[in-house]
Amino acid sequence: MALLEVAGATVRFGGLTAVKEVAFEVEAGTVRALIGPNGAGKTTLFRAIAGEERLSGGSIRFQGAAIHDLTPHEIAARGVRRTFQNGGLFGDLTALENILAGLHMRTRSSLWGLLVNSRRAVQAEREATRKARQLLGMMGIGHVADQPARDLSGGQQRMVEIVRALATDPPLLLLDEPAVGLAPPVRTELLGIIRRVVEQQGIAVLLIEHAIEFVMTVSDTIMVLNNGELIAQGTPAQVRENREVLEAYLGR
Amino acid sequence: MKLTRSVFWIAPMLALIPHLLLNEYYQYLVNLTLVYVLVGVGFNIVVGNLGQLAFSNVAFFGIGAYASGILTTQLSMPWWMTIIPAGLAGALAGCAASIPALRGVRLFYLAIMTLAFGELMRWSYIRTPSLTGGSMGLSVPAPELFGWVMEREHDKFYVFLFIVVVVVIFTNRILESRIGRAFQAIKNDEKAAAAMAIPTSRYFLLAFALSGFIVGVGGAMYTALVGHLSPEAFDLVQLIQQFAIIMVGGLGSLVGSVLGAVLITATPELFRDWPGFEELMFGVVIVLVILLLPRGLSSLLARAHSVFKDRYYRDD
Repeated sequence: MALLEVAGATVRFGGLTAVKEVAFEVEAGTVRALIGPNGAGKTTLFRAIAGEERLSGGSIRFQGAAIHDLTPHEIAARGVRRTFQNGGLFGDLTALENILAGLHMRTRSSLWGLLVNSRRAVQAEREATRKARQLLGMMGIGHVADQPARDLSGGQQRMVEIVRALATDPPLLLLDEPAVGLAPPVRTELLGIIRRVVEQQGIAVLLIEHAIEFVMTVSDTIMVLNNGELIAQGTPAQVRENREVLEAYLGR
Repeated sequence: MKLTRSVFWIAPMLALIPHLLLNEYYQYLVNLTLVYVLVGVGFNIVVGNLGQLAFSNVAFFGIGAYASGILTTQLSMPWWMTIIPAGLAGALAGCAASIPALRGVRLFYLAIMTLAFGELMRWSYIRTPSLTGGSMGLSVPAPELFGWVMEREHDKFYVFLFIVVVVVIFTNRILESRIGRAFQAIKNDEKAAAAMAIPTSRYFLLAFALSGFIVGVGGAMYTALVGHLSPEAFDLVQLIQQFAIIMVGGLGSLVGSVLGAVLITATPELFRDWPGFEELMFGVVIVLVILLLPRGLSSLLARAHSVFKDRYYRDD
């Protein structure tokens, strides 16, 4: 059984079919990329997996259970975490507080416990803070922990977002254009981080990306979406040679 | 926790005020300020922390005030026993006011719907004279605490101060925790908050209920303070004044709510001897603060102590 199983997934907006009977699986410990021209339905498919879009047909199963009727926060609670195309950081919060928000579910301090200042609640808050600092330190951005997220550089923001998504050790990570706007050295660093969490922690990654060299290097499998349909999937080498892909995507 | 610790030396200093001020009227103003501190603290949770343009605060305030007034007059309950029920009535109103927001209404649409809620309540006070005294108003007996009747303003002060300190400490604990961070996450980016497994609807409900409770308790204090409730006290002018408190104090800042309440209550009084001038100065003060301190009076303090919330964030 694969970690994520998408079968016959269809999303319609009125008369427009944005995603049409897409089927694929994501195995634990692998990186799968979703590429295709603008308007191919990549983001819609992503949003459907994250629960932000309802399926008109088909199913999405995660760890064997159907998740396509759940709300986004329920899906996130099950261990599907995502990053956002335009940066989904909480700008008012510091880098540290952003990570703490990612740890929300794991921080077991109840309303009542907080009100009476119970040992358990204080302990839970302290523990979460310690963990958040440690995670930032491990990614080499511990020094920006107490700065508001909006004051960080683009590269630092992307790192914080990825740390935040990984904070609860989710089995599946969805990355929406992780390399966009990053300088080449930062891209290389990001690529290393993705491969590391996949290989060492067995996390599965599904990502959308336009930077084709990044995709070719980071992915185990690549899927090509065009007009809402999957037109090809395979290893980077196979996709590079596929005539249909070259025509549809690269316009040759 | 600096804020809570500082409360322990600020409170005794405040407690000296009644002895310094012999004038009953000035004591009344200090008490009114304390009422507005709770009004601001509650309002700020929904507007400043949760980031929603919800203007149902005067409804919570009125419901808390009338709940206390009706319980004292109709059921002959002593005032102190009405404080919690007034808070609960406010919390219930908060839950009701969160319905449009829970159904996805945001920004100006939410503003106008919640504004309508406040006006609807004002209409309800007028239309139920058997309970509220209608447009004639409702006179309530002097507040009573465990058999002690508080006739003078100086007596009420200590009770009000105690309530305000307790509420501020509790609110601070909540806002510094994961609950407060969830509110702010929602304010910054609702979708991203949900993607962090934060159940956003539950936190909307919690923020509104909490806000309603605190403002409802403020309403009960208002009833004890003025002794006579009339529907006009809960009109749009009241709303503007309450909104000014949190804008001038600083959105999303607990300390700001306190400072805002002090400035907004004090300003008209400072110019009371020049008729017609007080409203003008009220406006001038608001404009000046917003121009010079766009983030409100709280930014003055934030400069003095760069990290206000050091409770769990110490790097040790």
